[in-house]
Amino acid sequence: MARMKFLCDAERCIACNGCVTACKQENDVPWGVNRRRVVTMNVGVPGERSISVACMHCSDAPCMAVCPVDCFYHTEEGVVLHDKDLCIGCGYCFYACPFGAPQFPQSGAFGVRGKMDKCTFCAGGPEPDGSEAEFKKYGRNRLAEGKLPACAEMCSTKALLGGDGDTIADIYRDRVLRRGKGAEVWGWATAYKLPPAGAKPPAANGGTKS
Amino acid sequence: MREPIVRAVTAIFAALLIIGSGPGFAQSPAVNPAIAEAAKAEQKQQVEQPLNNQPVWSEVRSGVPQWTSTLGRETNVLIQPQGETWRALRDGWVSVWAGWALVVMLVAIGVFYFSRGTLQLHEPLTGRNLRRFTAWERAIHWASAISFSILAISGLVIVFGKNLLLPLIGYTLFSWLAILAKNLHNFVGPLFIVCVVLLFFTFVRDNLWRMHDFTWIRHFGGLFSARDVPSGRFNAGEKLWFWGGLLVCGVVVGASGLILDFPNFNQTRGTMQIANIVHLSIASLFMLAGLGHIYMGTIGMAGAYDAMRTGYVDEAWAKEHHEYWYNDIKAGKIPEALEGMPDASPDLKQHPA
Repeated sequence: MARMKFLCDAERCIACNGCVTACKQENDVPWGVNRRRVVTMNVGVPGERSISVACMHCSDAPCMAVCPVDCFYHTEEGVVLHDKDLCIGCGYCFYACPFGAPQFPQSGAFGVRGKMDKCTFCAGGPEPDGSEAEFKKYGRNRLAEGKLPACAEMCSTKALLGGDGDTIADIYRDRVLRRGKGAEVWGWATAYKLPPAGAKPPAANGGTKS
Repeated sequence: MREPIVRAVTAIFAALLIIGSGPGFAQSPAVNPAIAEAAKAEQKQQVEQPLNNQPVWSEVRSGVPQWTSTLGRETNVLIQPQGETWRALRDGWVSVWAGWALVVMLVAIGVFYFSRGTLQLHEPLTGRNLRRFTAWERAIHWASAISFSILAISGLVIVFGKNLLLPLIGYTLFSWLAILAKNLHNFVGPLFIVCVVLLFFTFVRDNLWRMHDFTWIRHFGGLFSARDVPSGRFNAGEKLWFWGGLLVCGVVVGASGLILDFPNFNQTRGTMQIANIVHLSIASLFMLAGLGHIYMGTIGMAGAYDAMRTGYVDEAWAKEHHEYWYNDIKAGKIPEALEGMPDASPDLKQHPA
């Protein structure tokens, strides 16, 4: 069984926000909630990078760990989904998530928030696949239709990859080798920060520890 | 065949673009020294380690606000790592320690109750009553007691229900219970803060620390000996509960609770994570001390509950448990204690100690 993953190639993302728009359109996301957003670093200067971020569908998901009513679950494909019928709107998932994925339609006085909403990897919710109830609560169930998430499908530069982790890892590794840049994403320098002083930069071809 | 043409066209376009944007390039640096600095660092990095993207990934992980077009609170933060710490503390240290501390406290109280039973008076009732609490004092105390209990139980459901109740009653039923608990907690909380403030000003005068309170503390209030240590209207145990429980715990739990209860003031996740840990830790201490107070005020000691319900105590009770207070009344220093004094209160008649 595939293990679903998102990967955003920061060398390719041009911050067009096409993924954000695709997501809102495809899933009929409520006002004030953005299941996906694009964040730009070093904006306007050399070294500018943009990354599209949403729920990362963690294996050890913090939202799932802290939810007081245990409304989260992993699908067989590793997608983190939640049951809005059980959600009490306490906001704990929003405290715990490093990516800011869980959001609420309101943040009112006395902790009135409504039901949490987040990226579903276009996989809907616990209701029957493709049902009206599922669409109203969670948006489109594209995985059940044999499609990948709308954001990744829509990405004009193919910076945002979504799908089976092994497949998108292969695509990205291939890109890294071809461009001879960003190899450290796969290896030593990423895990252990700095290469020793005076060391040669990672080799462009095949020198990666993937 | 076509490649040279494509290249030529691209080069012409690029040249036009560069000419067109020339003045823009000239202006852009030096607008903001921090940006110029970042640009310089980036250029240096490109020369020294041309293939190493590591600074970018450090920045991604740093939690520093960046730029985004998405409106909303903290949407410009890519990764907020503090939530992991919050999770580890909440699901680990805080709930484990608080949970077992409450269990140990309940067991200790149970052992004490079954070994000593309800503490009875040593002298027979006199049938003459003293007014220990006014109607206002009882009203505000009951308002606090009821809201405290609601908050404690609903809070426990939210923290421990997932492990203790959910397996018993199932997902749907527990979700309803948790929604009830959450809303009770969020709406009763501010009410409790009002109660704490009123309670403080109502009882602060008789809770000021006196020298004889040290003696009371040294002897644990006579809890493990035959007789009570003399005390004023409130003994040192009650005073500790007043200052440590009501004031310190009440203020800390109330303030942290308000931060969590009103997320509409744009406070960040980081603030709420800290507030939540403080709230859980101090609320646990509050409940631990509260268990002792509730035990002594109900089944732990004969006459205490009647005092809180009716407002009256028997003279014998006053003399045994609060001797200095009793002496002051006898000396005529507290005339209000003799006001509206009925004969023996019906409860004390029915359940002679």
